Amino acid sequence: MEETNKQVPVTVLTGFLGAGKTTLLNRILTEQHGKKYAVIVNEFGEQGIDNDLVVDADEEVFEMNNGCICCTVRGDLIRILSGLMKRADKLDAIIVETTGLADPAPVAQTFFVDQDVADRTKLDAIVTVADAVHLSSQLTDHHEAEEQIAFADVVLLNKIDLVDESGLEVVKERIKKINPFAKIINTTKCGVPLNEVLNLDAFSLNRVLEVEPDFLTSDHDHEHDDDVTSLSFVSDTPLDMEKFQDWFSKLLQTKGQDILRTKGILDFTGESDRYVFQGVHMLMDASPMGKWPEGKERSSRLVFIGRNLESMNLKEGFENCKSA
Amino acid sequence: MKADPNKFPELNKTKFEQRGTEFKLGVPIINAVTIGNSIAVSFGDGTVRIFNSGQSSEPIKAHKGVVLSMSKDGDNILTGGDDGRFLKISLDGKINEIANFNSRWVDHVTANNGSLVCSSGKVVYLWAPNKKEPKLLEHESTIGGVAFDQKGRRLAVSRYGGVTLWKKDYTNKWKSSDLIWKGSHNKVIFSPDDRYIVTSMQENQLHFWRLKDKIDSAMSGYGAKVKSFSFVDNSKYLATSGAKDAVCWPFDGDGPAGREPICLPYVGNKLVTFVEPFPNENAILTGLSDGSVFLSEIEKSNNTIIIRSFTESEVSAIAVTKDCSHLLIGDMGGNILWTSIWDEENN
Repeated sequence: MEETNKQVPVTVLTGFLGAGKTTLLNRILTEQHGKKYAVIVNEFGEQGIDNDLVVDADEEVFEMNNGCICCTVRGDLIRILSGLMKRADKLDAIIVETTGLADPAPVAQTFFVDQDVADRTKLDAIVTVADAVHLSSQLTDHHEAEEQIAFADVVLLNKIDLVDESGLEVVKERIKKINPFAKIINTTKCGVPLNEVLNLDAFSLNRVLEVEPDFLTSDHDHEHDDDVTSLSFVSDTPLDMEKFQDWFSKLLQTKGQDILRTKGILDFTGESDRYVFQGVHMLMDASPMGKWPEGKERSSRLVFIGRNLESMNLKEGFENCKSA
Repeated sequence: MKADPNKFPELNKTKFEQRGTEFKLGVPIINAVTIGNSIAVSFGDGTVRIFNSGQSSEPIKAHKGVVLSMSKDGDNILTGGDDGRFLKISLDGKINEIANFNSRWVDHVTANNGSLVCSSGKVVYLWAPNKKEPKLLEHESTIGGVAFDQKGRRLAVSRYGGVTLWKKDYTNKWKSSDLIWKGSHNKVIFSPDDRYIVTSMQENQLHFWRLKDKIDSAMSGYGAKVKSFSFVDNSKYLATSGAKDAVCWPFDGDGPAGREPICLPYVGNKLVTFVEPFPNENAILTGLSDGSVFLSEIEKSNNTIIIRSFTESEVSAIAVTKDCSHLLIGDMGGNILWTSIWDEENN
């Protein structure tokens, strides 16, 4: 029975039209890997994928009646994942392709909101395929491109053979400014071992523990207000749990639209366990994750990716949560 | 209160299990439909089997993946699959492909008096009796469910934002009107007296419309999505899954608005996953997430008997033969019980 209760990992594949998503999907479907993958493609897909386990979907974003203002889910995904979970043969993974102009948030939120989806599948990672030649102009022209980078756990920087070294550095800097945690993989023709894009478990709380604050020293230049940026905070002083919950829940309630992703490891006064959370907009997964490692300093780390972060007084809010 | 299944196995079995036939097929059971004294069962590997007199037919290889939906058209079975095929299958296993949508799934199928209906994506395809070409009824969002009224003159199509009600006028043209309620609507049914339309929603609730005056209301308070619901005793109650009790809403008189449902509790505190009305009685068969099945009289909550003990797999199908002599229970673990309802020695 254990085997049938296992959650099937779902990889969300985003990226602008022409970046190379179809190349990657074809590799996933045709390479001899001995695994059974289902691929959910959108109706405006690039072309030419034919396989029994390819499912056509319309991207349908539904609002939930649960009072959460930014809580939207992908209705088609709920329907198709429920159908796939009734199969007699178990799938090793499911890959969801989104259209180039899609906002990744409703896809991610589906895994937080729908109980059936959450029981049988789990969001594995958001993988964004980016075109090294065109990404910079796409980021300037389309906020969807920014969101796709902001939500990514992995960015496949594709077509690097078509840019020179300095051009590549510029694009990478741009990606890191939006999302310093995403792992950037340089590729041509999406030539990447599949184990670097599938089965990453990037949304597990365990993975949050690996977040390294090495980008903390970077200066935050003043950005345009609607640019997506990231901010992070560290404190060696333990936090007051009540104050933190009060501040953070109000923050997500009022600014959740602009906060795309959050991650954190928290050290609360009087608690022996580490508290770990990660969120997408207003939705959050949080849990104590065992004792702090012996001999290591306890500290709290908090990371935000979003728009208008400078206007949210995050530093002040975080400082106020420190235990007196 | 769980008995150890490794000890005294015979003592764990109900009298229905002891006199019935069990099949351990290991393939998820999706649906069961009664056709006379046979019961057609659809599976997660694309097959259909016909059960009759405690025997199973050979598996009929209908679809490649999952049989997503199943209904009947007279003595034939209708199925829709995730291979994009809409099929009519006879009880002896002959398959007739009505349509093929390839990589687009056939999510829902139904029929009434020879009219055949399937939905794929946002479109309902409707074949008038003996017609080769379907009429296309288009909708703005993907269809959550389809249902004919008893006479086949109205077709309810649930979707995001409510229900589209298609009605055949006297020139036999289909005209639509909308029943609106915010949110995503899944399965839809008419009450047997055709006075009500009920949908289950993406949220943990149901919604109903009274057709004569379009009064509508939500039925909420569930801990899980309501996946199984059915009218009992010619529209007197609506029995529903999605809670630890079988929740039965009164639909006699002016309907459920402002009235409390009857909640039938079961031992073990498990989620109700399937409800099936017992024909011609004010009683329901209730299947739980641990595989157990009970028969309960709605107005006498102390009058509940256990039909099947637990299997650890959620009940996903229950059907009773037309003559009410036998019933079939199926679960997601691929276990089937076929048993007589009445104690044959006493009859």
